[in-house]
Amino acid sequence: MISKESDKKLFLLDAYALIFRAYYAFIKNPRINSKGLNTSAMFGFTNVLLDILKNEKPSHMAVVFDPHEDTFRVDEFPEYKANREETPEDIKLAFPYIVRIIEAMNIPVYQISKFEADDVIGTLAKRAEEHGFLTYMMTSDKDYGQLVSDNIFIYRPGRGGNEADILGVPEVCEKFGIERVEQVIDILGMMGDAVDNIPGIPGIGEKTATKLAQEFGSVEGLLANTDKLKGKQKENVENNKEIALLSKRLATIVVDAPVPFEEEKLKVQSVNKELIREVFEELEFRTILKRVIGDSPAPFEGKQGELFAPDEVESAAEKEANPASQLKTIQDVPHQYHLVKSDEEIDVLIKKLMTSSVFCFDTETSDIEPINADLVGMSFSIQAGEAWYVAVPKEKDAAMLLVKKFEPLFTDPQKELIAQNYKYDFKMLRKYGIEVQNRVFDTMVAHYLINPDGKHGMDFLSEVYLKYSPISIDTLIGKKGKTQGSMADLNPEEISD
Amino acid sequence: MINPITGRVHTNYMQTVAATGRLSSNNPNLQNIPIRTLRGKEIRKAFIPRSEEFTILSSDYSQVELRIIAALSNDENMCEAFMHGEDIHKATAAKVFGVPIAEVTKDMRSKAKAVNFGIIYGQGAFGLAQNLGISRGEAKEIIDSYFRQFSGLKTYQQLTIENARKNGYIETIRGRRRYLADINSANAVVRGFAERNAINAPIQGSAADIIKVAMIDIHKEMTHQKLQSKMMMQVHDELVFDVHHSEVDIVRAIVSEKMSGAEKMRVPLVVDMNTGNNWLEAH
Repeated sequence: MISKESDKKLFLLDAYALIFRAYYAFIKNPRINSKGLNTSAMFGFTNVLLDILKNEKPSHMAVVFDPHEDTFRVDEFPEYKANREETPEDIKLAFPYIVRIIEAMNIPVYQISKFEADDVIGTLAKRAEEHGFLTYMMTSDKDYGQLVSDNIFIYRPGRGGNEADILGVPEVCEKFGIERVEQVIDILGMMGDAVDNIPGIPGIGEKTATKLAQEFGSVEGLLANTDKLKGKQKENVENNKEIALLSKRLATIVVDAPVPFEEEKLKVQSVNKELIREVFEELEFRTILKRVIGDSPAPFEGKQGELFAPDEVESAAEKEANPASQLKTIQDVPHQYHLVKSDEEIDVLIKKLMTSSVFCFDTETSDIEPINADLVGMSFSIQAGEAWYVAVPKEKDAAMLLVKKFEPLFTDPQKELIAQNYKYDFKMLRKYGIEVQNRVFDTMVAHYLINPDGKHGMDFLSEVYLKYSPISIDTLIGKKGKTQGSMADLNPEEISD
Repeated sequence: MINPITGRVHTNYMQTVAATGRLSSNNPNLQNIPIRTLRGKEIRKAFIPRSEEFTILSSDYSQVELRIIAALSNDENMCEAFMHGEDIHKATAAKVFGVPIAEVTKDMRSKAKAVNFGIIYGQGAFGLAQNLGISRGEAKEIIDSYFRQFSGLKTYQQLTIENARKNGYIETIRGRRRYLADINSANAVVRGFAERNAINAPIQGSAADIIKVAMIDIHKEMTHQKLQSKMMMQVHDELVFDVHHSEVDIVRAIVSEKMSGAEKMRVPLVVDMNTGNNWLEAH
C-alpha cells in the first residue's frame, strides 16, 4: 500500500506496456484455454488491474491505449518507432478481450488520435495535479520519469510477488543521475532511444549522456558549449545539433494533448457483473471470475482422491448456476447411477463387469496422498450413462474383504482399465492388497501426450471433449453414495481424438 | 513433510506437468537440490538408506543430452568423439581452437563446454558472451568455428526448425510431440522463443523418454528377481536406489544394462555409478 495518503488517488495505466509485459511474463509457459486461445496477456493484465484495486484502493482510474494510426511524432520524423517489431499475433487477438474486461469493470478507456499513451497520461496527470490529486502512472517505460513531481509518481508493478516500485522525484533523479526530472528528456535526446528509434547524437551512450547532462544541464546547454568538448565528441555534437534537438523533441512527453479531464468519469465504480462474467467465461478465467464477482471462493480442499493440481480442480459450481453456459450437466444428461450396497448386488455387479473387456474405474478416498488415504468408495462403468458406486466401509478388515472381491477384475491382463490419473488408483488398490494387471489407459497421461502444454484435469477434459461439466467436488464432499458419473462418460475414442 | 506413518519424506512425481516430457517432483521437490552449494550438499547427506543393511546407489547418464544431439544430428566429429570415449569438451576445444588434444588449456575446455551446453539450448552469440563474460565478437568467432567443425549440428538445427515450422510440432526420439504454436509468429522475439524450444525440446524430451524406458525396464527386472532393493528417486538424468548390501552387484548390473540399453543410438549411452552411505557420497 502506498504510504502517501490523499482522498483523491488516480491510477493511469499504460495499456500497451502492461499488456506486453503480461504476455512476455508467461512466454515460457503460456496460458492456453480449451479453444487454443493464448490468454496470457488477458490474464496478466486482469491480475494487474485487480491487484491495484485491492492493494492500492484508488479513488479514480483510467486505462490509456496508443492510437492505431501513426502519431504526430511520425509526422515530424517518419523513422520514429519505424524499427518496431510486428506485434505478436496473440497480443493482437488479446486486445478486444482486454478492452471488454476494462469496460466491464467500468473503468474509462482513453485512446486519442495522433497522441501516444505517454502524452495522454502526461496530460491527465498534470491536470489531476491541479485538481489536488495524487497520480500514479502505471508503466514500465522509463521515459515517464520526466513527468514525475511531488504529486505524480511512476508505479511499476512488482514482479513475482514483490512489492511494487514507486518512483518519485528523488528516485528518478537518482536513477538517471540528474538534478531535475526534466533532464530525463535531455539524456534521452542525447543518447537517443533504440526502442523508439530516436537517433540521438552518434557516439553518446547512457553514461556519456548522464555526464553531459550533469555538466551542461540540458541539450541546449551542451550545444551552446561545444567549445568545451574535445576531439571526436566535439565533432559529433557540432555536426548533429539538429538531430539532438529533434531527438529531444521526440522524447518530450506532451502535457497538453487534446483530452478532457473529467473527474467524475474517472471515479472507480463497481463492476458490471454480467459483462465480466461473459468475458471471463469466454476466456475460461474461473478463479478470477469468483474473485471479481465476490462469491468468496473457498480454497480447494483435497478431501477426495482425484488428485489434480488445484488450478485444474477449479470447480464448475458457477457453471451449474449459470444458464448461459453451453455445457451440459448432470441435469440434462440421461444417466443411471447405481448405488451398490448388499453382498448380492456386489456379486451381480462383479459378474456384469467381468463380461466387459473394458471398464472405467475411479476411487474416492479420504486424502489426496495415497499414503495417508483410506478408500471411501469405488466407481465402475462399462458404458456411457451408466455407472455403479460401491461404498467402502470405514473399518479396515471389512474394507479389505470387500475390495478383495473385485480382485478377479483387476488381475485379468486381457481387460483394459480406463482411469484418470491411474497412478493414484493403482497405489490405493495396492494398499488394499490388489496388484493391478490390466492393460491401462490413463486419460490424463493420454491428453498430456497429445497436448503436453495444456491442462489435463478431469473436469477440464470433460468440458472440452464431452461438453459436460461434472458435479463439482465441493458439492460432493460429505455426500457419500452418489458418484460423479463423468468417468462413465469417458471413453478412449473420444479422449484420444 | 515427514510422513507420520513411515517417518520418511515421500516426494510425488507428476507425469503430466512438465511439457518437455520430464517428470516433475513436489512435496518436496527433489529435483532442484543444488549439487555444488554447501547447503545442497548437506541436504543430500540427509538421504540415507532405510537401514544399515542397505546402501545408496546413484547412477547417472553421462552427458546424455550431448550424446542425443550427436546421434540425432549424426554429426561425424561429435559422434567420433563419443565413440572413442574422449572427454567431449576437451575434444570439442581441440577442434574449435585448432590445437592437438594435449595442448587444450583449461580455459579452452571451459569455453568449449559452454558452447556445447549452449547448443543444447539453442543459444546464440549473445548468450554465450554473457555466460563466459567475453565480447560478443569473440563469442561469435567461437560459435562460427564450432559450426565449421561440427557442421552436422548446424544442418540438424536448421532442419529441426524448418520441420517445426512446417509441422507445427517437434518430435522426440520416441515420437512424442510438442506443439510450438509460435514457431511461425511474425514477431521475432516470440518466434525466437519457439525456435529455441524447437532445438531444446527434442533433446530434453528424448533424454526424458530414455530414462523413463530405463526406469520401466529396471523396475520390471527388479520385481522379476524379487529384490529387496528399491528404486527411490529420479532426478532427470540420475536414478537413486536403496540397495541391500547383498544385492549391490546384481542391482549394478541391472541398472547399467537397462540404462545404457534404453535406446539404440549410434553413440553409446554411458552411465556413472556409485554407492555410499548417503546420496551425497553416492553421487
